[in-house]
Amino acid sequence: MNTLRLYFKSIGMLLKSQLQYPSSFIMQTLAQLVMEGGEMMVVILIVDRFEKLKGWSGGNLYFFFGIMSVSFYITELFGRGITGDFPSMVRTGRLDTFLVRPRGVLTQVLCGGTDPRRITCIAVGVAALVMGSNLSGIAWSPLKVLALVESIAMSCLLILGLFMIEAIFSIFSVKSVELVNAITYGGRSACQYPIDIYPLPLRALFTVIAPFALTMHVPASWILDKPLYGWPVWTAFVTPLAGAVVFAVMTALFHLAMRHYRSTGS
Amino acid sequence: MSYFTVFKMRLRMELQYRGAMIGGIACQMFFGLILVALYRALYAGKPQSLPIESVATYVWLQQAFFRMMLASDSELVDKIKSGDIAYDMCRPVDMYGFYYARIMAQKLMGSIMRAVPMLVMASLLPKGWGISLPASLPGFLAAIPALFLGLLCVCALENITVAFTMKTLDPRGMQGLLSLLMMTFSGNLLPLTLFPESWQKVITFLPYAQLLDAPIRLYTGNFMPNEALRIYAIQAFWVVILIALGEAMWNANKKRMIVQGG
Amino acid sequence: MSYIEVNNLMKDFTVKKKREKGKLFREKEIVNALKDVSFSVEKGELVGYIGPNGAGKSTTVKILSGILTPDGGDVKVGGIVPWKDRKRHVGNIGVVFGQRSQLWWDVPIIDSYMLLRDIYRIPKGDYESRLKELTGALDLEPLLRTPLRLLSLGQRMRAELCGSLLHRPELLFLDEPTIGLDAVSKLSLRDFLKWENREYGTTIMLTTHDMEDIEALCSRVMVLGHGKKLFDGKLQDLLERYDTVRNVNIKYDGELADLRLPEGIKWKQTEDGIELSYNPSDFPTSNLLGMLQDAGNIRELTLQSENTDHLIAAMYKELDL
Repeated sequence: MNTLRLYFKSIGMLLKSQLQYPSSFIMQTLAQLVMEGGEMMVVILIVDRFEKLKGWSGGNLYFFFGIMSVSFYITELFGRGITGDFPSMVRTGRLDTFLVRPRGVLTQVLCGGTDPRRITCIAVGVAALVMGSNLSGIAWSPLKVLALVESIAMSCLLILGLFMIEAIFSIFSVKSVELVNAITYGGRSACQYPIDIYPLPLRALFTVIAPFALTMHVPASWILDKPLYGWPVWTAFVTPLAGAVVFAVMTALFHLAMRHYRSTGS
Repeated sequence: MSYFTVFKMRLRMELQYRGAMIGGIACQMFFGLILVALYRALYAGKPQSLPIESVATYVWLQQAFFRMMLASDSELVDKIKSGDIAYDMCRPVDMYGFYYARIMAQKLMGSIMRAVPMLVMASLLPKGWGISLPASLPGFLAAIPALFLGLLCVCALENITVAFTMKTLDPRGMQGLLSLLMMTFSGNLLPLTLFPESWQKVITFLPYAQLLDAPIRLYTGNFMPNEALRIYAIQAFWVVILIALGEAMWNANKKRMIVQGG
Repeated sequence: MSYIEVNNLMKDFTVKKKREKGKLFREKEIVNALKDVSFSVEKGELVGYIGPNGAGKSTTVKILSGILTPDGGDVKVGGIVPWKDRKRHVGNIGVVFGQRSQLWWDVPIIDSYMLLRDIYRIPKGDYESRLKELTGALDLEPLLRTPLRLLSLGQRMRAELCGSLLHRPELLFLDEPTIGLDAVSKLSLRDFLKWENREYGTTIMLTTHDMEDIEALCSRVMVLGHGKKLFDGKLQDLLERYDTVRNVNIKYDGELADLRLPEGIKWKQTEDGIELSYNPSDFPTSNLLGMLQDAGNIRELTLQSENTDHLIAAMYKELDL
């Protein structure tokens, strides 16, 4: 509990410092809104031209877009330390100051970054979810709400886990940011659509290595009353746990990698 | 000849980042595959008058020349943030031209080095997945000057972004907006050929469509080779306007800086 | 057993060389940052750790503070192996890096201290009494509500020190704490460190390039070069070993007779006298004085040793560092 309190206190402090420059903050927040709105517009234009995508209606597509958008930007909002700032923490030696404090490194890295500008992106995602839910005529039940919340939470862990690959690379001072972007941002672009539209190799990739199929596609399909390939209902609640598994594996690798951390300026 | 020297220096620098280049190619190939897979799935439900091969070609050319659109000069942005740009502004050369040459070298070298291997790989993919041959030889030949005019255009656009950056000092908001406009209306997020027809009439006249959309349409035969002159004229029009605008903004910034003493 | 025990410490770094033409991969080179360093430090000691850039000073401090894992050797600080039991270890130590901050840039420093209180889990009462004492000793009270970025370099260093001592560490590492500070700030910083060491028996290990820091603070000094320990003892002993040359400045009244000095004495004529330097063990002082007296009517004579910086430079040169 102490750790959680520490986290929210740190985030509060970061917010305080970002609000020292209010006009820039507002401008950037608005820019984020327009940018995510642009992404949403592309989906709307696609639905306008093609109407449906392999058995998925326009409403279904908005719903998928919404889950991805909300998960991705919640991760960026709260996990900025990993999704954005980590390489510079290594470069500037901020990581050293974390290491001389009696707390977990990962905890402190996460305490060290937040990106509140993403709040508008999350708002766009929520709007897409509501729009998708209405157009698809989802009959919400407590169980479905639970499935949605679990799906989003597990997708966040998965995304955080994928961004940790980049963090691990930067511990070894490997500069292959673009390669890692393929799996993170590429994963987002691909999996904001239902995954069963892709050919087998891509489906396998997004089931085994970056299992968005398990954290997002399966529960969303169930919420949208689609047949789960004949699987029982409980699978919709079990498969998303893959997100936590990826996060746990990456955390372990991260700690292994930290043993080889060489610090700068020696 | 200082512009030429800067240009050559930058070319050499670009050549050094081979690791980043391979990573970038892999990333862009992956994005290309995802997009083509998506459009194929969409086409399977509702085929369009525009053939899928043409859409795939569009996607691959966009991905191959992606580097051209990307804001390339982070060093320059850092210089502006730290205020070091003031030193450059006091040099006895036209700074607009200086940075124009620098940015152009980066974009040219960066995109050619990535585009050639990517296009080779994309052409090896099965039909309907990869890039197709140009619609005609004249079309292909007409696309090359259009691509060059597009390059001139995108460099002028980036210089305008930089000028904005100098003015506001905190560039991220403005940069975000301008790059969104660029990504959306250049056809990177969604091929302009798939925008609603009524929108296309307007969008194709915007400066963003001159970068890659115009040459790609000449390549795929969406624009006929005999339209080439008309397209070049639109492109050249925007090049002139954008360079004039950028130059005016740089000069205004320069005056302001000299008045304020940096 | 001593408080800090370091035995046969080793650390290598692989450095990637620039790719040569025609080769596909860059070659790697292994640099031995530390080869076989051993020492021990008792509780309450104030130890200076010096050496030229790249000697391995920072590497040692980073290993002792749990940031780096060594490639060989044993380290125990208060019975704990730093990199194996990092969290427990760093609860007992404080670290100040001269060139990087561990406080938050844009918020008032008191907010940073409150967060540090949570990070180190300092009980409320302890925190308040410690903060009061430290802000008093470091003269920080009027600055507590000021954001770090608005502080001067000297104020910032004081704020950093306060932050690193809030949890009452047994051991304090200082990495070039006086770098860039003005004379007044340096003096007050040194006074504070002496006070902290005397009052709480805090063990302090200090790396620096400023020999005045060492002279003012450290009874003991260690010299590191090429990853090896070259000297460990009193600063005075170190200086005596290299303090062989004396500089003499003599002023004469009136004309100077033709002066001939033996080989091995460097000298030059000045406006109204001469300057010379000699080594007393090579050339007896009384003989020299006789010769100088014969040359004219001495008005004034000053004798001085080389200053510390020169001595250290001479030492580095002799050791080929």
